[in-house]
Amino acid sequence: MRLALLAAALAATIAVAGATAGPNAERATVYAAASLTNAFPKIAPSARYSFAGSNMLAAQIRQGAPADVFASANMKIPLGLYGDGFCSKPVVFTRNALVLIVPRANPAHIKSVFDLRRKGIKLVVAGQGVPVGDYTLQVLEKLKLTGVLRNVVSRETDVREVLAKVALGEADAGFVYSTDARTVPRKVRALSVPAGGRPSVEYGICIVLASGNKAVARAFVKRALGRPGQDVLRRYGFLPRRP
Amino acid sequence: MRRAVLGALALTAAAVALAFLFLPVAAIFLQVPPGRLLHQLTSPVVTDALLVSARTSAIAQALILLLGTPLAYLLASRRFRGRGLVITLVELPLVLPPAVAGLGLLVAFGRAGLLGTSIPFTQTAVVLAVAFVASPLYIRQALAAFEAVDPDVIAASRTLGAGSTRTFFRVVLPLARGGLAAGLALSFARGLGEFGATIMFAGSLQGVTQTLPLAIYQEFSVDLDTALAMGALLVVISALLLLVLKLVLSWQPSRRTSSFVFARSS
Repeated sequence: MRLALLAAALAATIAVAGATAGPNAERATVYAAASLTNAFPKIAPSARYSFAGSNMLAAQIRQGAPADVFASANMKIPLGLYGDGFCSKPVVFTRNALVLIVPRANPAHIKSVFDLRRKGIKLVVAGQGVPVGDYTLQVLEKLKLTGVLRNVVSRETDVREVLAKVALGEADAGFVYSTDARTVPRKVRALSVPAGGRPSVEYGICIVLASGNKAVARAFVKRALGRPGQDVLRRYGFLPRRP
Repeated sequence: MRRAVLGALALTAAAVALAFLFLPVAAIFLQVPPGRLLHQLTSPVVTDALLVSARTSAIAQALILLLGTPLAYLLASRRFRGRGLVITLVELPLVLPPAVAGLGLLVAFGRAGLLGTSIPFTQTAVVLAVAFVASPLYIRQALAAFEAVDPDVIAASRTLGAGSTRTFFRVVLPLARGGLAAGLALSFARGLGEFGATIMFAGSLQGVTQTLPLAIYQEFSVDLDTALAMGALLVVISALLLLVLKLVLSWQPSRRTSSFVFARSS
């Protein structure tokens, strides 16, 4: 009797665990760049999201993460996954702009990117391989400002970490997307990057080939590329798919 | 019959539990051939992280030893109102989620925080993060070790004419030595693995604030082999620490030590 009870309890536990952890036939699991944190749930509220640096998400997908859709803040990462047979051919679904942000109080009195050259400024950027980190480097190279990298005090794991450190007032400046700066308008001020230094920021979306839920994945991508998705993205400050 | 079934069930459960605990550790070593693993360890990301980890751990543990020992001794030898509360406060960082610790340190020591210092993003920030999360392990163990010293022995030392300072250094400290060393080993192991509080409070910059765990997190998305090599290194160090801990504890055979996970609060 006791044995039967024990077995039943064990079976029930496994069943419950299986039911909650198993893939859901209705909902898409979307791995998306951290900068999409606010916009994406508005496109498809029923989907499940994992937001992080695109490079981190790609590493997880390579390790077999149960993603159906991958949305990256650049084209390089999804093209790499496509080349290695992990996802479908990526397409551009939106674009963005890079801005320099400073805390509202602006303790270091930074008026433009060129002020970053001043000694002692605490600059926060994203790390190697993180899309926004790569764009930051492009900006600095184009403007011949790579010397400001010696003012970097931290390399963060995704764009929202950069945003948080500046919004808290701990860092003097950081490079994020204009859409990120808009999420905390009372805490940070955005300074535009001079025309000669602006990188082309294209977001790529693809279907993960290991997904057991391709129909739902396709539906999500269609929605993101279509009118409903594009309207939401525009509302959050993203730029249209084509310049 | 039923006993045999139960026995088999228990054995199976034990085997599953053991395999589960061992598998991830073994997998780290099996994923990459040993030669390549060693080669990865020479990459600058790894050597920089190792140096940062070694430096910050050494400083943090020295601080913990220097400040934690008197605190533990006072808590062990004095009875006062609110003692239980103080002990609970000391133990709190132990059960606090590391992200909360990082947030707390940031709003306490951050430029925009309570004390308004410029500590964030420096190696000092790493030391503080490590000391904050790891010190309770040492203090709690030291407290238990001091409490386990027979009060009669202390009383005897005092009646024989030794002052309280002399008694502490000649009688109490030698008797509690094993427990203190065990506490320090635990605290060292915990500090070495610190991640959440460090990444929030100190950020991550190679050669300055990027410790081994932070480097593993970064390399996971850059070069998995390097991440695995650092993982293997930390497994070896942690295993050595555990070994030291067990040896230290077995040197002190007949000692009354607290069997509680946390020191008693009253």
